[in-house]
Amino acid sequence: MQLKPMTGKRTGHFRESLAAFSATLLAATLATHGAEAQDSSSSNENNNFGPGTAYTQIDGALLVYKEAGGRVQAIEPALDTQIHSADGYVLNVELIADAVSGATPNGAVPSDLSQTFTTPVRVTANSATGAGGEGEGEGGGTGAGTGTGGTTTVTGASGGSTVVSSGGTASRQYTVAPNTLPVDKGFRDRRYAANVNWSQPLGDLTLVGFGAGFSREHDYRSITANVRAAQNFDSNNTTVSLSLNMELDSSFPFGGIPTPLTAMDGAWKTPKERSKTQTGFVIGLTQVMTRRWLTEIDYAFNMQHGYENDPYRIISVVAPSTGEPTSYLYENRPNNRQTQSLFWDNKIDLDPTVTDVSFRFFTDNWGIKSETVAVSERLNVGSSFYVEPDVRWYHQTAASFYRYYLVAGQPLPAYVSSDTRLGAFTSLTYGTKVGFYLSDRTELYLRVAYYQQTGNGHPAGTFGQLRNQDLFAGTKAFFAFVGYTWDFH
Amino acid sequence: MTHRISIIAIGCAIAISAGGCASFGPKPWEKDLMARKEMQIDPHPMLTAADNHIFFSKEASSGGRGFAGGGCGCN
Amino acid sequence: MIAEAPIPDRQAAPRLTRSGPDFLYLFHAMATPCEVRLETEDQALAMAVAETAETEVRRIERKFSRYRSDSVVGKINASGGGTLAVDAETASLINFADRCHQLSGGLFDITSGVLRRIWRFDGSDRVPAQAQVKAMRFLVGWKKVRWEPPAIMLPAGMEIDLGGLAKEYAVDRTLAVIARVTQQPALVNFGGDLRVSGPRRQGGRWKVAIESVEAEGHAAGLIELADGALATSGDARRFLLKDGVRYGHILNPRTCMPVEHAPRSVTVAAPTCIEAGMTATMAILNGKQAETFLEREGVRAWCIR
Repeated sequence: MQLKPMTGKRTGHFRESLAAFSATLLAATLATHGAEAQDSSSSNENNNFGPGTAYTQIDGALLVYKEAGGRVQAIEPALDTQIHSADGYVLNVELIADAVSGATPNGAVPSDLSQTFTTPVRVTANSATGAGGEGEGEGGGTGAGTGTGGTTTVTGASGGSTVVSSGGTASRQYTVAPNTLPVDKGFRDRRYAANVNWSQPLGDLTLVGFGAGFSREHDYRSITANVRAAQNFDSNNTTVSLSLNMELDSSFPFGGIPTPLTAMDGAWKTPKERSKTQTGFVIGLTQVMTRRWLTEIDYAFNMQHGYENDPYRIISVVAPSTGEPTSYLYENRPNNRQTQSLFWDNKIDLDPTVTDVSFRFFTDNWGIKSETVAVSERLNVGSSFYVEPDVRWYHQTAASFYRYYLVAGQPLPAYVSSDTRLGAFTSLTYGTKVGFYLSDRTELYLRVAYYQQTGNGHPAGTFGQLRNQDLFAGTKAFFAFVGYTWDFH
Repeated sequence: MTHRISIIAIGCAIAISAGGCASFGPKPWEKDLMARKEMQIDPHPMLTAADNHIFFSKEASSGGRGFAGGGCGCN
Repeated sequence: MIAEAPIPDRQAAPRLTRSGPDFLYLFHAMATPCEVRLETEDQALAMAVAETAETEVRRIERKFSRYRSDSVVGKINASGGGTLAVDAETASLINFADRCHQLSGGLFDITSGVLRRIWRFDGSDRVPAQAQVKAMRFLVGWKKVRWEPPAIMLPAGMEIDLGGLAKEYAVDRTLAVIARVTQQPALVNFGGDLRVSGPRRQGGRWKVAIESVEAEGHAAGLIELADGALATSGDARRFLLKDGVRYGHILNPRTCMPVEHAPRSVTVAAPTCIEAGMTATMAILNGKQAETFLEREGVRAWCIR
């Protein structure tokens, strides 16, 4: 037998927490010390939002998004309710609305001459106008017209477009000034989305869950479903998770589905609707490395099959020597896509700051590869306020079928798109989040960010008037997000 | 005899789960920092979702922490 | 002056005696010998303190004993799956247990008392069969209990036992009630879990012996205490011995088995008795890593292997 005395100078975290609990217990139960005891016991109960406690969390948020140059702007309110039971059951219901409007590049390159584009538009029998809420194809214009035959000019407040009406359908023309990026100003949409998720412990599994989502726009519908499971190991230091996801997207663009690689005109097309399915999985590993370092690695695989095109997007066909546009073709993308991504996130507590560093590598079978690095640094200022600046760098290579334009007389590729999203570019995002804890249970936070894409506007091999144009149609955007979180029993 | 073996086997299991000699990472009572909101891997999921939605509508990549399917016709 | 661990006759009447500069009051409660020492010459004061102390201990014993059907614990255990609202003091104790459960990653668990049905630590070789152990897993686990203060819903068949806290809690409480009567230096010792009110009158320290685990009544070491509390976990006399494996009486609620390779006894010094007791219990639950745990936590402790 040996008696081993140990004398410690430091204070461990167990000891520290225990001391606090003991002080609370003894203070709370010294009944004759009335007020003191009541204070500490009541505050204990209220602050208990950990596992094993039933509570509800409500998050309300508003996103405002605005692109430079009068392009897209959006406003998106959202509400999320999470109901936690004491046994670890969680029901989550999220509702999102989204109002988007503005001008969006149609895919054509700028020209030193004015360019006119023709798209379908619906003329309702009574109002005989494409303007207003119903008019997908009409932006900001006001006017009147006849329901049948003839030509009606609509004075476009911003769009300057003309509606050529014939029966219940019509085509709309809009003209873009010389040396400007062709944009369609008639872009306006509303989106409504709802997501419901359930998760709970089940048998030996730490968590199983499933969820479904529905999102609806005027011309697009998406249904998602997911099943997921997670298991904690090693005193909850390790979590392994698997999520299976399915998505069915239907596109029913205004004016019908255009035939790929045919010339843009105002005719109504068939079919009305095409769809795309997605199936994928995410395998995740979360590991508490040290007291101050949390890391997460996720691998995601996604398989898409079906209609991948942007039905509104065109590509310019230019004359071989002058570079002047001769026609505009609807784009075409392969009807299957496999994507893979690897995401690595780290959170490091460097009291009083918390650093978040994440990396993402992405690749797909369209030839796109991308890297993302994001860093944020949270600085607590006092106990109820923090500031968290962040920066994100992103770079992607172009899809193999990405072209700025096509040249008349050259063979037509099977797949082609001039969508900036599929081109090579670098983007930088700078943001700052500030948060206030209004109480132990409520937080108000605000994040503002600026996003800017930079790409090559003067690719090698351009000719004629194209040499004088900036062919990169990248985005600059400012967005602000304000959110409010409220926990209650 | 089988009884004896099973007891020893259980004994080993205890040594692993209680002794923690095979464990990686901090002990439960060292998770005081991990329990803080700022150390949650995603403290504001709605904000993250909004960010991802913006990036997804402007960039070709998806994926990351969760399933970044669009649920939007923004391509 | 050594506060020797007294082993009074269970039937002995409570008594107040002179012991050096102190009045010593001995009684038996909570299934353990209890000792209250007060450094004073005033016998009337000593008697008043003794009565106050014993009243408080008996109150706690009555309230939290799992052997009494009229105790709060007895009522909770007999609730048969129903929901019961508890008083503020009980809620505070359960909250404390709840936090310790979380803090210890589930190692400390007030529902593990039912394991005594299969594990009887009587020095024999009666180790329960594996099937018996497995069956217990449905009855053990604080997470199965719905605790929404002040309401508790204990699934039928499960039991809670605050015995792992009550004695230490009683020490802290008793010292607190004594402090309301007198400022004279006092020591409260319930079965080896003790706390002093502060230094002795001349600034001297209280001397406390740690009992040997092998020879009863023999001191394995001497501790000098000016302030704070001491608590000991692990009991040399409560174990099973089978096929050369020694099963100590501290059970791991996650496996429903005794903790292996634990020190035979851990004594911890801390500002309050409940902290000392919980830290000692946690050290034992850490088994082989007990010393590592204590060292890392910077705890003043004494381990006997």
